[in-house]
Amino acid sequence: MATRTDLIDKSNQSKNIITYVIIGVVFLVALWLSTQSEGPSKFPKEVTDKFTFTAWVNDGEDYLKKNYRWVTKIIASYIKETYYFLEDFLLESPWILIATIIIIPCIIAGGLRLGIYSSFVVYFWGATGMWEPSLQTVALMGLSVLLCVFFGFILGVLCSQSNRFENFMKPVLDTMQVMPAFVYLFPALFFFGIGGAPAILATMIYAMPPIIRLTNTGIRQVPAQTIESATSFGSSKLQLLFKIKIPLSLPSIMMGINQVIMMALALVVLACFIGAEGIGGQVWQAIRRLDVGWAMEGGLCILFMAIMFDRFSLAFSKDKERLPSDVQRFYLLPQSWEKYQIAKILETPLSFGNKILKIICQIVTSAIATVIRVLVSIFNKSTGENIGEFISKRYYVIPYFLVLFLIAFIDNYFLEIGTFPKEWKLSIRQPISNAVESLTVNPGFISFAKGLRAFVYLNLLRPLDVFLTQIPWWYTLAVFSALGYVTVGIRFAIITAVLLLFIGACGIWTQSMITLSSVLVSVVLCFVIGVPLGIIASYNERFRNIQNVVLDAMQTLPYFCYLIPVLMFFGGGTVSAVIATVIYSIPPIIRLTSLGLTQVSGTYSEVSRSFGGTLIQTLNKVKFPLAIPSLVIGFNQTVIMAFAMQIVTPLIGGKGLGLEVFNGLARSDTGRGLAAGIGIVLLAIIIDRITLAWTKKQREALGLIS
Amino acid sequence: MKLSKKISALILSVALLIGSFGQANAAKRLHAAIADWTGGIITCEVAVAILEREMGYKIKQTVFPSGTGLWEAIAAGELDFACESWPSYAEADTVMLNEDLIYEGKVVGTYSGDGSVDLLGTAGIIGMSDYWIPRYAAEELGIKTWKDLNKHKAKFATIESGNRGRLIGCPVAGWNCHDQKRLDLLGIDFQADELGTEAAAIAEAKAAYMRKEPFLLYLWSPHWFFGAYDMVGVQLPDHKVCDSFTEANNWKDCGTAAWPATGWAKDYTMNYGNPATFASAEHADAKKFFEKMSLQNIDQAKMLVEVDQNGRDVKEVVNEWLDNNPDKWKSWLP
Repeated sequence: MATRTDLIDKSNQSKNIITYVIIGVVFLVALWLSTQSEGPSKFPKEVTDKFTFTAWVNDGEDYLKKNYRWVTKIIASYIKETYYFLEDFLLESPWILIATIIIIPCIIAGGLRLGIYSSFVVYFWGATGMWEPSLQTVALMGLSVLLCVFFGFILGVLCSQSNRFENFMKPVLDTMQVMPAFVYLFPALFFFGIGGAPAILATMIYAMPPIIRLTNTGIRQVPAQTIESATSFGSSKLQLLFKIKIPLSLPSIMMGINQVIMMALALVVLACFIGAEGIGGQVWQAIRRLDVGWAMEGGLCILFMAIMFDRFSLAFSKDKERLPSDVQRFYLLPQSWEKYQIAKILETPLSFGNKILKIICQIVTSAIATVIRVLVSIFNKSTGENIGEFISKRYYVIPYFLVLFLIAFIDNYFLEIGTFPKEWKLSIRQPISNAVESLTVNPGFISFAKGLRAFVYLNLLRPLDVFLTQIPWWYTLAVFSALGYVTVGIRFAIITAVLLLFIGACGIWTQSMITLSSVLVSVVLCFVIGVPLGIIASYNERFRNIQNVVLDAMQTLPYFCYLIPVLMFFGGGTVSAVIATVIYSIPPIIRLTSLGLTQVSGTYSEVSRSFGGTLIQTLNKVKFPLAIPSLVIGFNQTVIMAFAMQIVTPLIGGKGLGLEVFNGLARSDTGRGLAAGIGIVLLAIIIDRITLAWTKKQREALGLIS
Repeated sequence: MKLSKKISALILSVALLIGSFGQANAAKRLHAAIADWTGGIITCEVAVAILEREMGYKIKQTVFPSGTGLWEAIAAGELDFACESWPSYAEADTVMLNEDLIYEGKVVGTYSGDGSVDLLGTAGIIGMSDYWIPRYAAEELGIKTWKDLNKHKAKFATIESGNRGRLIGCPVAGWNCHDQKRLDLLGIDFQADELGTEAAAIAEAKAAYMRKEPFLLYLWSPHWFFGAYDMVGVQLPDHKVCDSFTEANNWKDCGTAAWPATGWAKDYTMNYGNPATFASAEHADAKKFFEKMSLQNIDQAKMLVEVDQNGRDVKEVVNEWLDNNPDKWKSWLP
């Protein structure tokens, strides 16, 4: 036995040595090549001159605009009409009505706690003067979610009914999810014009996959026994679907809706780049004016809104888990505080109020039910009974609408409520700006920021920029193809070569290397900062809990909000772009490090410790190797997020492909913007596939999957 | 089951509710762009405020980067109007406008494009652009014109520009300043840095001024920066145009004799809009208003200081100006 493991060890070691030597040689050759060349490597001019992708796209666009614009215009105008209608309603109704529309469902679904939180959110929108943009964002998001759920549900049901359709949809859904969202913001712009309509359509592409997937799996996971018993009672196929399968898969579908809401919110904010209104536009304007306080207010509005919708939709999907009303004694404080006397005293008036409210609601509802029953019974007795019963069961929903009508009635006939009262405004803009300003003139901070900027630029960014842009393109291409061959296979190697050739032929080789270099620098920094944080979190539960809250918040925030803190402390420039990318893309690496390390089963570390391994040894020799797959997944996600961030960094001085996209947009040169956008996607796809394949190999080697 | 009914009831009722309350709005509507520099934002805000306060309009405003994309959006009717276009910066004006630009009765520009965008009239602002250095640097280093810049390029270098000097350039790519091209053509060994936004470029310049470091800055006037800091121009060569010398022609001939090797022309700025919108009888008043509107540099400069230096809200500043200076704008009303 011993000799065998020795042998394996040795062969592994020699294999490792060979790998390292190859990597070293490849690197040295690259270094030599890059010092040989003068200036950035250029793709052969004959190729870039002939391969005028940009012109083809623009010609195609002109052709489509001329001949098919009317089709897209009709679609766009329908969506626009609906959106304006919804927006008008939200903006021109009395503010109390809108607030009530939002707050009461939160109370019904999530209890008093969510109700109080949602009132705070609504107040915050008004208080910071973001009432209009917030509601515009809500309108855009609401409409996209509605459309997503409608079409996604239908597609999901179809998937669940036909294996062939499911097989067809799977790669489509994969592509939809891998593509960074802004790639279809552009085509949407070019078919549907600017503003709400293209934003909603792009959001539909972006946010629909989860609902399709979760509807499909939900329906497919309905237990076979249930289906059997339903069939044996003689249900037809349609009855089976609508009476058994769909109702049983509702929790899964609700989870899907929750994800759709979150994704839609993220994209709707980003859609300000194609002229959609809302908070996104506010944050963009604030960034342009370097007004940190303003940008912060916008960012917080989005964050609070995201948390509110998340909790609200989760509360719906967790309907069953809620305590029955006779067990639930506490409405505001955690149930576990029941043992404290003071908590009980605080809760008594609440539960009393709750009871009274419930009785009032019941009385009102049953009164309405009786009236309607009597009225309808004049024509048809059984329908009257049914309607009466239907109404009397909904003793929360009916009073809710009564309240709404009452408010609207008062507003129309008695006193005008109008917009959010100005006296209630509480701007946090100035204090934040002042605080930041006082920090940024602090000499210690100035030297720190300057030092950091100089360090990152001189030691990381510039050498890598120069290195990557000066290596001849054919060498880089060969290295990537070889990597693709080793990790995935010959087919992927060819695909990689073709994709990179495409980038080169579009004439954006240099820009893509600059993008690659800033992504790599960002990812390295993410590792350097994120892994230690992950390790600490894996050892200290309290730290982990705090960190998780922070990371949750970070992941709900749309990505160009990350430009704000960076802009405030470091100004504009390429280094700032890198720092923003690091802040945005660090959560997965922290999370997955801590997850990977805590998942290593206790026995392994126990064994290691009993053999006298120190903490560092255990970490180094046992835990880390076993956590590698998890780490690589973290790396993979971080890379993808870093690429996605490249599209917004030009706002604070980022360069490379992102800037090309911006230039394309500003000059209405769709081809140029699209080529650069595709370039980012292709780079992301190549690196994504290579790392994923590598993880798979690692997991196989560790015997984690068979 | 319970859940599904609850949800469907909720959705249905919300739809009903919306149906019962959403009323068509009686106000006339226009859709305007919000520019990407403060001066442009203020000019447009003045127009928007007057249209809303005095003429019963409701204006929707959308943030949109200036550049050809904006012109096309206006031609397609996605937006109704935009304000304060600077002819030197716009590339689409020659292609899309077909009208004379008249400033105080004099023809200051002639366009013969396809007329897909309507020239609404002058905005009133007269703009100048140049490269600037702070006076202390000019005196200390003895820099009189752009020709002296190369001698002191090391003093203007930053970590990012290496051994070349650095120009805090035109912040937005869509503005077509061709900074690097100009520097190269004139043989100035400087690197043009595009910082993404006006605010970022100004912040950089402000910080350098505070530290009394030499720096080269692209900037246009009217701008509040000149009121707060003492800057001198580097006197770029006088503006000259050469037709075969464009980016599309790949800068073929003309060498250093013409734009962009020269400085900028004096810019009579203009407002522009969608032809169909402003030809309709409904918006005849708005068209008349734009023909008469003429905001003076001095007034914009005052508001710029309030907004950018004192950090106040644009709408608030503009409304205050309208309240205090009715004599200046009452004559613009149709």
